[in-house]
Amino acid sequence: MSQSNLEFTFEGQKITAISGQSVGAALLAANQRILRKTRFNKNERGLFCGIGVCFDCLVVVDGVGNQRACLIEVKSGMKVQRQVGSDA
Amino acid sequence: MHNVVIVGAGPAGLSAAIAAAAAGAPVLLIDNNPRLGGQYWRLASDAVGEQGGQHYDLATGLMLINAVKARKEITVLSGAQIWSATHKDGINTLRVIQNGVEKIINTANLVLCTGAYDRTLPFPGWDIPGVMTPGGLQSLLKGHGVLAGKRVVVAGSGPFLLPVAAGVIKAGGEVVELLEANKSNRWLLSPFVMLENIAKLKEAFYYIKTISQAKVRGRFSSAVVAAYKNSEGILESVDVAKISRNFKIKKVRNVKCDVAAVGWGFTADTSIAGALGCSQIVAKDGGVVVKTDENQQSSIAGIFVAGEITGIGGAELSMAEGVIAGISAAQFVGCKVEVLKAHRKRRAKKQRFADALIKSYPVKAGWITWLNEQTLICRCEEVSTQDLKQAISELGATDSRTAKLLTRCGMGLCQGRICGRSVVDLVASELNISPTDTDRISAANRPIISPIPLGVLAAGE
Repeated sequence: MSQSNLEFTFEGQKITAISGQSVGAALLAANQRILRKTRFNKNERGLFCGIGVCFDCLVVVDGVGNQRACLIEVKSGMKVQRQVGSDA
Repeated sequence: MHNVVIVGAGPAGLSAAIAAAAAGAPVLLIDNNPRLGGQYWRLASDAVGEQGGQHYDLATGLMLINAVKARKEITVLSGAQIWSATHKDGINTLRVIQNGVEKIINTANLVLCTGAYDRTLPFPGWDIPGVMTPGGLQSLLKGHGVLAGKRVVVAGSGPFLLPVAAGVIKAGGEVVELLEANKSNRWLLSPFVMLENIAKLKEAFYYIKTISQAKVRGRFSSAVVAAYKNSEGILESVDVAKISRNFKIKKVRNVKCDVAAVGWGFTADTSIAGALGCSQIVAKDGGVVVKTDENQQSSIAGIFVAGEITGIGGAELSMAEGVIAGISAAQFVGCKVEVLKAHRKRRAKKQRFADALIKSYPVKAGWITWLNEQTLICRCEEVSTQDLKQAISELGATDSRTAKLLTRCGMGLCQGRICGRSVVDLVASELNISPTDTDRISAANRPIISPIPLGVLAAGE
């Protein structure tokens, strides 16, 4: 089995991941299912299509909003936050 | 000689690249994933390790991938997102972003193999984290070695549900329900085609073996019709219904689960072809696909199309079409090569199988009765059934385009990729009319292929 070989943070909390994984996959592996809250109803959203089509897994990565967690490859030291509303 | 430019490195694109290169053409293969293989042969990074158990026919995929890597005539641009495609005076212009830098590619020929994504239907609670597409669940397993949750409900319609359920079991998860909305005997509609494509039946039995060894019993005429969240906002349970032939709910029970993977076949991603102006048509399953001739050429000379964007048909049909498209494109740039009768025969056989599948797994109109007034239709813009109905009854919308303008339904970041097809059906149902092909095709058109940060544009020339 593969070993976790890097660390990043989600909402300030340390998460381990394997290089090559997406941010979304690494967060799901750490049982972090809520990736953002919507603009109008403030409803929780997570990974849905998983392949970059639906734009539902938007997170803020190192201060930049509207990043698709399912596509962004996780990097050591990344600071990932939930996106609340339309952008950071 | 000019490059043959191919977009998409799944079964169709890889096959096209090899065929064009073998014909003597230099090839530029553009793909938006970090690794070759497309969704079908999605491979994990070296560090994650090969998720071999998740692939049925990885050997074929690796053979194609290695052949593409080995041929010096083929240049690969991976992780490259095409955000704009235009066609003028016989030249196609692609604007591609790779590692934050924009490249502009001008080419008279193009082979589009842009694939498909899961078709979804709205239902109450489908926006709760934990509800996802079967393709999404599988891509997490194949590409990242992550199982989305322990107790998984796999539901919807079509043969793709089988490998997804088998994948969950192989990864150590529990398939708490495996639900096919259609009746069990629909395969019998096309017995000859099934026998002709016996290898596909073997593949189905391979999955069924895994599923039955785990003592999972698939249920037919059943569907997930609602999802519920816990106090934290995460999926807690789903309503599983016994449904009629027309998908009307007969009887409901509640099932606890961590993940509900619900999908209804696939929708072709015709964004690039549509932006270039290639004619699109409505396929038998109601999906919009790119029109093609027997050489896989679109309505625009020099633009060839292969794989799921010409009609949903699976990896084998995609490969058969990819070879023909690759040969045709090589011929277009001046290579002395021809599409053989054997190529067409292979494609015809796979096409018959694809047609049989579509006949076996229809999505019936009764799904609309699963919705309530608060059910979200457009996930991006948070438009509910009620909002759509109001646009029709109060504001006088008489087609899906107007309803979309009034409600912003389908105008969010995904540009209607997720809800567009359902909105056309919903608006037509509300007005008690049948959707026209124009309605369906206009719902599939999007001017910008992928939203990009403005900074990238500012940084370009």
